[in-house]
Amino acid sequence: MIKKFLTLASLGLISTTAVAEDVNKRIDASANGVVSISNVSGSIEVSGWSRNEVEVTGTLGDDVEELIFERDGDEVEIKVKGPKRGSHDISSDLVVKIPEKSSVEIAGVSADIDIQSVHGSQQLHTVSGDVDSEVYSTDIEITTVSGDVELQGDDEITRAELESVSGDIEAQNLAGEVTAHSVTGDVTVVNSNFERVRLETVNGDIIFDADLANDGSFGLETINGDVDIDFNDSISARFDIETFNGDISNCFGPEPVRTSQYTPGRELKFTEGDGDGRVSIQTLNGDLRLCKD
Amino acid sequence: MNENQSFDDRLMEAAGSLETEVTPERDLWPEIQSVIATPSRSRRNTLFAQAAAIVLLVGASSGITYLAMNKQMQYVTPPPPNGLNVEHASFGDNYMLGPEYQDARNGLKAQFDEGLESMTPRERADVLKNLEAIRSVIEEINRALANDPENALLQELLLSTYQEELSLMMKIDNVANAMNRTDF
Repeated sequence: MIKKFLTLASLGLISTTAVAEDVNKRIDASANGVVSISNVSGSIEVSGWSRNEVEVTGTLGDDVEELIFERDGDEVEIKVKGPKRGSHDISSDLVVKIPEKSSVEIAGVSADIDIQSVHGSQQLHTVSGDVDSEVYSTDIEITTVSGDVELQGDDEITRAELESVSGDIEAQNLAGEVTAHSVTGDVTVVNSNFERVRLETVNGDIIFDADLANDGSFGLETINGDVDIDFNDSISARFDIETFNGDISNCFGPEPVRTSQYTPGRELKFTEGDGDGRVSIQTLNGDLRLCKD
Repeated sequence: MNENQSFDDRLMEAAGSLETEVTPERDLWPEIQSVIATPSRSRRNTLFAQAAAIVLLVGASSGITYLAMNKQMQYVTPPPPNGLNVEHASFGDNYMLGPEYQDARNGLKAQFDEGLESMTPRERADVLKNLEAIRSVIEEINRALANDPENALLQELLLSTYQEELSLMMKIDNVANAMNRTDF
């Protein structure tokens, strides 16, 4: 019987290819260590819990050679390992639970990333995946090329660096510092309170509907996008705004003036309040609307 | 500064506080140049080359602005041939970013091309589409600068857009490195 099976298999009459594998593993971990996760393709969901353990569940792709899951001191490493060459199905969906005070570092290529209830710092990098996260009083760095970024804060001081190339960036309930940059995506920052802001796009619109501290710094640059700024509370800053080929609409302070009789550019420079802070805005072809509550 | 001064006057005042002699970029960045001249495949030197490319752009900006605002047509490098060519990092009709920038960019390009090769066709197409969008903007600003060479806003936006190009190339390289491509 076995001989017959092996003969049929060798003739390719019975499939012997690998199949997707369910994974369910757990390991002890430091309460506030670092968890590194690497998954080329699929999805990565991470949530914080009260246990000092890291748990990995989910499904590995048909051709995954190995799931590396090991601890070295304060660091736990989770890595999906596939064949070196050729086209293979290594798409894996990982659901990971980590001690909630852990920091997390994630690298993916075609992988979506979803983070919840992780209170340590986060470095999240993917190429063609969306990134959705929450941040709690710590630093966060998100980079994606072809995906969107969504970040929810808890209104506590944080430093957020958010980058996408052709995806949109949306952030809310942040405080402290934010840098958001997209090439062909829109940037939207709302319901937040900042000391420092830096927003940049090449071909995307920018919406800022939040507060700037009295001695805060706000820098914005876009080439072909429109800008809509609403300072929620009183603002005390020196404003330096210039467009090359766009209109400026200001609901408070003076009207913009032409930079030159020979070019379409406009500029708007004035001081609001004590002028403690600084607001600097430059656009090439976008219209700008500026207002405050 | 007097708020009543025009923007041009205030920029001239600021430029006047700069050194009167613009030192050639080769003399300003000898250490960076030595790294760029001998490209290495090691990640450490890649990082230096990448950092050098950004520093050279930033370092160039104040020199360019100073020259423009003092209305002196001093060339940072020999003027480009007829017809703008983005590959030569044109800066309007009258300026061009120096050869060190080109060397640094070429060093980044090799790793960028490697990073592209490791992507799926769809990912690659998306990156190239964005790179093309950035280069179109560079051409657009260069055309505007050709008509208005002393426009400080255009100069600043053009430098910023060149930085966007380098930043995108670095991003692709960094993502590939972060994945540690021996995983698969």
